[in-house]
Amino acid sequence: MLFKSKKPHFEYLRQKWTNKHKNLHANLLDKHKDVGRQLAISGIGSLMLLTTPAIGLLPAGKLSASGQIEHDVDRNSLLATELADKIPTQMQALTPEEEAQIGELLSNRFGFKVSAELENKKLNRSYGMIGGEQHLYRYPGDTLQAHSQNATDWAMYGGSGIAPGLGAWGHFAPSKAEFTKKDEQRERYYLAVQTFLSPGYAERLKEYRDFYKFRKMLVVNPKTGQAVVAVIGDAGPAAWTGKHLGGSPEVMQAVGLAGGPRKGAVLYFFIDDPEDKVPLGPVKVPERFG
Amino acid sequence: MTLKYNMKFFYTKLVNIETLISNLDELDLSAGEKAHLANLVDSSLHSAILDEILSNLSPEDKKLFLEKLETEKDHDKILEFLNEKIDNVEDRVKKVSDQLITELHEDLKQAKEVTVK
Repeated sequence: MLFKSKKPHFEYLRQKWTNKHKNLHANLLDKHKDVGRQLAISGIGSLMLLTTPAIGLLPAGKLSASGQIEHDVDRNSLLATELADKIPTQMQALTPEEEAQIGELLSNRFGFKVSAELENKKLNRSYGMIGGEQHLYRYPGDTLQAHSQNATDWAMYGGSGIAPGLGAWGHFAPSKAEFTKKDEQRERYYLAVQTFLSPGYAERLKEYRDFYKFRKMLVVNPKTGQAVVAVIGDAGPAAWTGKHLGGSPEVMQAVGLAGGPRKGAVLYFFIDDPEDKVPLGPVKVPERFG
Repeated sequence: MTLKYNMKFFYTKLVNIETLISNLDELDLSAGEKAHLANLVDSSLHSAILDEILSNLSPEDKKLFLEKLETEKDHDKILEFLNEKIDNVEDRVKKVSDQLITELHEDLKQAKEVTVK
C-alpha cells in the first residue's frame, strides 16, 4: 500500500483503526437499540474508557442525566487564588509561620490533616521546585510496558521511560505474584524527596528511613491549585540539580507540570493518615468548600 | 448524574495490551499520534467488550448493568453482578479482547510494511 504521508505507518494505522472503531461502535448501537438511549445519554457507548484519573479531573463541563452540560466549578482554582498571597514571590523555603498558615488552609480545604512537620520530623523544605522523574521497576522482571493500564496510559506516560536503578526502598513488591493494587498505586503516584537533607537524618538513619518509606504527602501546584496525594518512593534529587523533589509521570500530570520543561514550584506537606484512609491520586477540593 | 463510569476491572485483569504497546513503541510516532492511536485502541476494546457483555444479558439486566457502570464505585460489585448473570463472563471478555488485539497486531505488522509513494 502506498501513502503520500511522511509517516505512512501512522496513516495506515489511523485509517485502519478509525474504520475498525467506527464499525465496532455502530455494531454496538445497532445490536442494543433497546438501551440505545441509555448508552447515548450516559456516553458509555461512545466515550473512551476513563481509566486515567487525571482525565477525570479536567476542569471541564459534566454531562447530566438529561444530557445537558452542567457547569463544573473548579474549586482547586479557587484554592490557587487563596494561596496567591501566602506563597513567597521568590523560590525560597517557607518560614515556620508560613508553613503553619498554609498547612491549616490545605487541611481545611481538602478535609484531611496536612503539615510540614509530622512526628517531630520534617523535610529540608515544604515549598520547592519539582522535576519529572521516570517510572520505577516495581518487581523483579517488571517492564515499562507493563506499567500502562491501557493504551491511553501508554500514550500519556510511556514516553517518560523507566529508571535503570531501583527506588530508595528497592522493589515495591518482591515478585509479580505478590504485587498488589496498593503497590501499583504507590509507584504510579510516587515522589522523590531529599530525605538525606532533612534535619536529624544522618544521626537517626533507621528511624528516619522507616518514617519516610511510602509516607503520604499532598503536593499542590500553587499557581493552579491542582493537587495529588502521593507517597515518598525514592530519595533525591541531588542538591546540585537545583530541584528539590521529583514526581512520577502521573504526579507531574496531576499537578499540571507534565508538559514543556516538566518542572515547576509546588507545595509538599505530610498527610497525617494513620488509618490509611486517604487514597493516592489526583485530589479535588470537595464541594462543601465551593 | 456525573459521567464517571469505567471498566477498569476488565482492563486490569483480562486485557493484555503489553505486547501491542511494545510493538507500537517500535514505530516513529509523535506524542499526538500516539494519543490518537491509543484512543482508538481503547475505544475499540471498550465497544467490543461492552457488546459482548450486553449480548449476554437480558433487556432488564442490560439497564441494570449500565446503571451500575455509571454509579457503582466498587468494581468488584459490578464484576459480582456480571458473574451472577453471565456464565464464564471473564473468559468471554478475555476471548473477545484477545481476538481484537490479535487483529490490531496484524494491522501493526502491515503498517510496518507500508512504503512512501
